[in-house]
Amino acid sequence: MSKLIINANVKRIIPDFKELLRYKDLFYTLAWRDFRVRYVQTTVGFLWAFVQPVVTLLILTVVFNKFANVDTGNVPHLVFTAASLSIWTYFAFVLTNSGSSIISSQGMIKKIYFPKLIIPLSKAVVGLIDFGIAFIILLGLMLYYGIMPESTAWMAPIFIIIGMIAALGVGIWLSALTVRYRDFQHIVPFMVQLGLYATPVAYPVSAASKNFPDWFMALYYLNPMAGVVQGFRWSLFGGDPPGNMMYISIGVVVLIFISGLFYFKKVEDQMADFV
Amino acid sequence: MEKEIAIKISNLGKKYSIGKEKTGSLRESLSNTFKRSLKIKNEFWAVKDVSFEVLKGDVIGIVGKNGAGKSTLLKLLSQITIPTEGIIEINGRVASLLEVGTGFHPELTGRENIFLNGTILGMSRKEVKAKFDEIVEFSGVKKFLDTAVKHYSSGMYVRLAFSVAAHLEPEILIIDEVLSVGDAEFQKKCLGKMKDVSEQGRTVLFVSHNMNAVNTLCNKGVLLENGKITAIGDAATVVDKYLANGREVLAVQTWEIDRPGDEIAKLNSCRLINENNTLIEYAEIHKKIGIEYIFEILEDGYSPIPNVHLNTERGEKAFISAESQEVNYFVRGVYKAVVWIPPNLLNDGVYTVDLGLASMAPYKLHFLEQHVIRFNVIENISNRPSGHNQKIQGVLRPLLNWSIEKRK
Repeated sequence: MSKLIINANVKRIIPDFKELLRYKDLFYTLAWRDFRVRYVQTTVGFLWAFVQPVVTLLILTVVFNKFANVDTGNVPHLVFTAASLSIWTYFAFVLTNSGSSIISSQGMIKKIYFPKLIIPLSKAVVGLIDFGIAFIILLGLMLYYGIMPESTAWMAPIFIIIGMIAALGVGIWLSALTVRYRDFQHIVPFMVQLGLYATPVAYPVSAASKNFPDWFMALYYLNPMAGVVQGFRWSLFGGDPPGNMMYISIGVVVLIFISGLFYFKKVEDQMADFV
Repeated sequence: MEKEIAIKISNLGKKYSIGKEKTGSLRESLSNTFKRSLKIKNEFWAVKDVSFEVLKGDVIGIVGKNGAGKSTLLKLLSQITIPTEGIIEINGRVASLLEVGTGFHPELTGRENIFLNGTILGMSRKEVKAKFDEIVEFSGVKKFLDTAVKHYSSGMYVRLAFSVAAHLEPEILIIDEVLSVGDAEFQKKCLGKMKDVSEQGRTVLFVSHNMNAVNTLCNKGVLLENGKITAIGDAATVVDKYLANGREVLAVQTWEIDRPGDEIAKLNSCRLINENNTLIEYAEIHKKIGIEYIFEILEDGYSPIPNVHLNTERGEKAFISAESQEVNYFVRGVYKAVVWIPPNLLNDGVYTVDLGLASMAPYKLHFLEQHVIRFNVIENISNRPSGHNQKIQGVLRPLLNWSIEKRK
């Protein structure tokens, strides 16, 4: 028979992954619910998931290529941006959705016990669908322009996984912070907007590094997505290889993710009292 | 034979801080860091020094007035909130049912919501699948299984939601007043189901304002007052004690923390008023009274219907009244609703008021707060023209028109 002891004097600080595993069915169900509600109930359904990235892609290409004449080497700007946008869009989606996720699930949190980490985690899974769509757009464009991926393409999944961990890490932090500080609901859209320009999405890193000193570039790579986007693109098209600076990004990703898990655990127990 | 212990609670306490809104902003938090030394914290214990044991197979009714700590106790037992002090030991699989239809999504179909709600309540998808037909059968909404639940009537919604919950098979079941929704016939069905549960030797903790339900279902009772246990023992004794204690009135109630409600609407306060909108402590049988309540709408685009339930002292419904003449599209803001009860309708005695706010289509219960206020209706017997001076029986005592004529 299962035994449960709740002791006010023993604070739980270590994230409990075993328990998370026990609740995997709930995790699937919530991810599936988000998916259903997001795509199936709207009249044009999946179409929206295409329209949004395509429009963003076109705008970025017009602004950065036609107006600002950004040089993307031997890859057309459209394809260049499509590659970075696919992984950036995923990051942005997870950020936006997990930030408010705990608050919008307050009905559940106040009425039933479950490991709340499931909520931001399920957002990260639903975001994969958007990523998949953006990836299909990218493949279509590569076919159209006749661009073959480089031999380093096998590294692309590694960068995708680092990107997922980055998105999750920031998402977990934001979901926990928003519970305590509602201000973050307003900060997140701003962060996403700013991040689109602070990340080498529509321009190569070289465009930034030739204009700024080294110390500034070190700061630039504190943005966890800077290294991920650059690396992902490099693995596909070559050119502009990620340097040592990229390890700053990866270090930040790991740090954010692990500290996020611990911070989340710290506030998890109080969530029902705060939302 | 010695019975096994299902739940052991020792010195349980839960403290809340009141005063400022619980959810802060960054600015507040920063400025508080500097002011901390000056600030006098306003704290209160929702539950304090609670210790008792629940044996396997016990059906325990937890009774007490609003704010006595019943819901907090259940939340602590369900792990929803953590205690400030004390230890809880639970032996066995727990399922807690603090509302029906937790996690129901209006856009999804009945079928999908069964899976959603089932897994939220702690069943695996496999278990839900295995019990699916039974759940559908019990709910009686088979025909609408593939319709989005936003098109359901509130009755159908509640029936489906409760059916899922009724098919949980926990060793320990924790229930909060969920039976108060739904029609009488379905309530009876649910009470029957609960009885089955306890007869199978499972342990049930049950919070209710319905003293008859506590009396019939429970073998033990716990009376909470101001967060502490003031009586514990067999259900009938505890119920009597509660009723005896509860004769004092509460004509006004205001929430400072933990306002009842969801993310769309919250209840702020309620009071009993007279014709001049002034607070009164009791009602006189031949005078008009009003029940005024203030609620806040937090999101635009809903058209919830305020409703007031009036109960007798023993928890039977005298009537329910809903504002139904027009559809109000509420924008964000604070609202005051008053329902006027005409003179000469209620009998003399103690009545309690439940306040509700629910949106239809899709059905969503924003709050249904039990026993918000209780008041006495009094009568000066010497004013009776008939000279009859005994208590007149009945839940209501309307002044009706009679016609008497001589036929021969």
